[in-house]
Amino acid sequence: MPTVHSQQDVALMAHLLRRAGFGATLQELDHCLDQGYEATVEALLNPQPDAVPEDLIRRYHVDQSDLRNHAAGAAYWIYRMVQTQAPLREKMCLFWHRVFATAATKLIQARMVANQLDMFREHGMGSFQDLLLRLSRDPAMMMWLDNQDNHKGSINENYGREILELFSMGVGNYTEDDIKECARAFTGWRVVNPDYMSIRMRNNTARPYGYIAWQFEYDDTDHDHDDKTFLGQVGDLNGEDVVAIICRQEATPRFIARHLYHFFVADEVPVPQWPHTEPRDPQAIDLMCQAYFDSDYDVSAMLRAMFNADFFKSEAARFARIKSPVEMVVGTLRMAGGLELPSTDTYAAVGVCAAMGQFPMNPPSVEGWQGGSEWINTGAYVQRVNFASRVLSDASKPGIQAIIGRIRDLANGRGLPAEELVDACLHVVGPLEVPDSTRDGLIEYARSWGDVSFADAASTAQSERTIVALLQLVVTTQEYQMV
Amino acid sequence: MTTATFQLQYSDAVGFVADQGGRGFHLPMSMVIRGDGRIFVASRSNTQALDIVGIQMVTRGHEFFGQIGGYGREPGKMIWPTALALDRDDNLYLADDYLQRVTIYDRDGGVQGTWGTKGNGSGEFDGPSGLLFDADDNLLVVDHRNHRIQKFTRDGQSLGTWGAYGDGDGQFNLPWGITQDREGFMYVADWRNDRIQKFTPDGDFVAKFGASGDGNGQFNRPSGLAVDADGNLYVADWGNQRVQVLDAAGNYLMQLRGEAKLSPWAQEYVAANADELAARATYVPVFDVDTNDANEVSARIEPYFWDPVDVVLDDDERVYVLETSRHRFQIYEKA
Repeated sequence: MPTVHSQQDVALMAHLLRRAGFGATLQELDHCLDQGYEATVEALLNPQPDAVPEDLIRRYHVDQSDLRNHAAGAAYWIYRMVQTQAPLREKMCLFWHRVFATAATKLIQARMVANQLDMFREHGMGSFQDLLLRLSRDPAMMMWLDNQDNHKGSINENYGREILELFSMGVGNYTEDDIKECARAFTGWRVVNPDYMSIRMRNNTARPYGYIAWQFEYDDTDHDHDDKTFLGQVGDLNGEDVVAIICRQEATPRFIARHLYHFFVADEVPVPQWPHTEPRDPQAIDLMCQAYFDSDYDVSAMLRAMFNADFFKSEAARFARIKSPVEMVVGTLRMAGGLELPSTDTYAAVGVCAAMGQFPMNPPSVEGWQGGSEWINTGAYVQRVNFASRVLSDASKPGIQAIIGRIRDLANGRGLPAEELVDACLHVVGPLEVPDSTRDGLIEYARSWGDVSFADAASTAQSERTIVALLQLVVTTQEYQMV
Repeated sequence: MTTATFQLQYSDAVGFVADQGGRGFHLPMSMVIRGDGRIFVASRSNTQALDIVGIQMVTRGHEFFGQIGGYGREPGKMIWPTALALDRDDNLYLADDYLQRVTIYDRDGGVQGTWGTKGNGSGEFDGPSGLLFDADDNLLVVDHRNHRIQKFTRDGQSLGTWGAYGDGDGQFNLPWGITQDREGFMYVADWRNDRIQKFTPDGDFVAKFGASGDGNGQFNRPSGLAVDADGNLYVADWGNQRVQVLDAAGNYLMQLRGEAKLSPWAQEYVAANADELAARATYVPVFDVDTNDANEVSARIEPYFWDPVDVVLDDDERVYVLETSRHRFQIYEKA
């Protein structure tokens, strides 16, 4: 006999899988419920590598082989998010992509952002010190923030400033002198062939033979070996030393924890207001900071502390955030299933995300996307609804067939009244709780299609159309837009 | 021994990224050389540059004659061009993986006809991806997602089929390219089985070469292939980003990684852009890379092959290697 789980357990697990992933199918939800909450958190934190059919992708979508084109790069990432067996790892790629915002528009080749995402995939849930060091050596980041122009005796402060202001500590925790000294520590950190690569980037040219991917290089002759004073530490500091000093600061985990809270728990005010505004939940930030120091700067430890804490699990936290365009699009594609390889759906998904203000690989600035209410306006809402309805329109997709199968089981040989059908559809896409007025509207719509029955082939076909139509309406509800 | 004496040396590169039109190719997939030296290259391009989907015409001497066809579903148009072949009368045949059809152009580029629909029945396709005219001027089509080879008359009448899904002798897993030696034996790049299979003209299995890996004689998703008068086999070892040469018995002879220099078109471009010309003076094209990923290495090192998809020989047995992601072909000659 399958285990029967309480409604509270189901709702909590669904909440975890929406926030730490992109939602779950009924089968995934059942599997996780059988595992238990804390075991599911551990499984999310310790995923296996995804089996990605790179050969097939590159054979059929040759623009995802050179990964030069932004749409192709973003479509490749959407595919990875839809197909992943490690949803938290992909979600953390999205998280770091927002915090360490790097845009393909300036870099002129999506490949460099794709490579940066690969780095997040591998190291985004490990040591923050390791991650920050890898970020500092990441060719996309170097070129994005002009560190190829940061020379001994002629510093460019861009990366030195942003690593402190946006990537680790936040404004108010360092001085302008610290920025300059930080920049000096990163002199000599560049990409191979910096002059030619810079000019090609500036000229936005793939000529003569397509783009050339960048590689990190350290040029000791261009590094400033004189003493520097950074956050009170004095010496011939190099980039590695600066990163180590940053990671020891109390401000660093506070800053990262606040980002994690904003991304996974509840909307915070925009980053520029953080120096003047207390966190929504100071105790939550304290808890994650403690986990950071207790674990030698481990990001997973911060996530574990967050997901297992009451502030995350509370009913008040559920459906309290607006899904980002990527969350909505990926979640819907995962629910529909059947995406064995990148397809026109993945390219369409990129277009829809871009139209809703979140072009993956192209954040609007170094500050990334703020999110929250910014995601919803009239035009964006129409985009959401149209995309979700279209993706769910095909009853032959395996995810839709699985939903139909569940409803068929529920009917158990009888005709299913509209009320039960609506409740079942709300359950499979959430479970969603909607106001009575919304439920009444859905029931009225379902009634217009007649009772669902699987008595014979004709009624089964009609019932499948009814279920699809109802699912298409359910995903237009306000509640479906929340996570 | 042959192994010690067989050598190929770099001769030239033809191409340029034509992402905004003009001379060159954009994500080319297949090439074929006509007897008069005209070379046809089918470019896949991408969604941002659909004007360049088509068949570009060039010569080894860097002449450019424009383009046949274009993006679309109408007769003569294409969406995912995968393979080219010429019949005895120099009609040009194009396979389209997306549209599931073969299109025929006459010598002047006029559309002569098209056939094919999606399916797994006789004469139907699921991903035509390799084309070859045999000694009888019949057309062999690698019908790759049906894991089989189909044989047709020049006007599309089905003459038979062989192959099925699997990794046994005579079975295929998403095959790609096909070629034929002077004795009529056929060779198929059995792409996802990482091997080459040899068949009689009637499709009977003769031999298989290679296994998965990146060692000598091993393959990672071989795509295009060609065979010379001595029976030496040239294989685009696509996933390993190299070309391998095997002797007639399937023994490893040598490999190429690519060493392209700037084509005249590329030189003209660089010369016309003073800032790039100046920066290129200090540019080191080949450097030590910090990755073992062959695809990523190719992305960083411009002279190396990047997605070598097709290998073609001309009448003088020069070796042409077409590279999808570098938008050019490199030419090698026997030393």
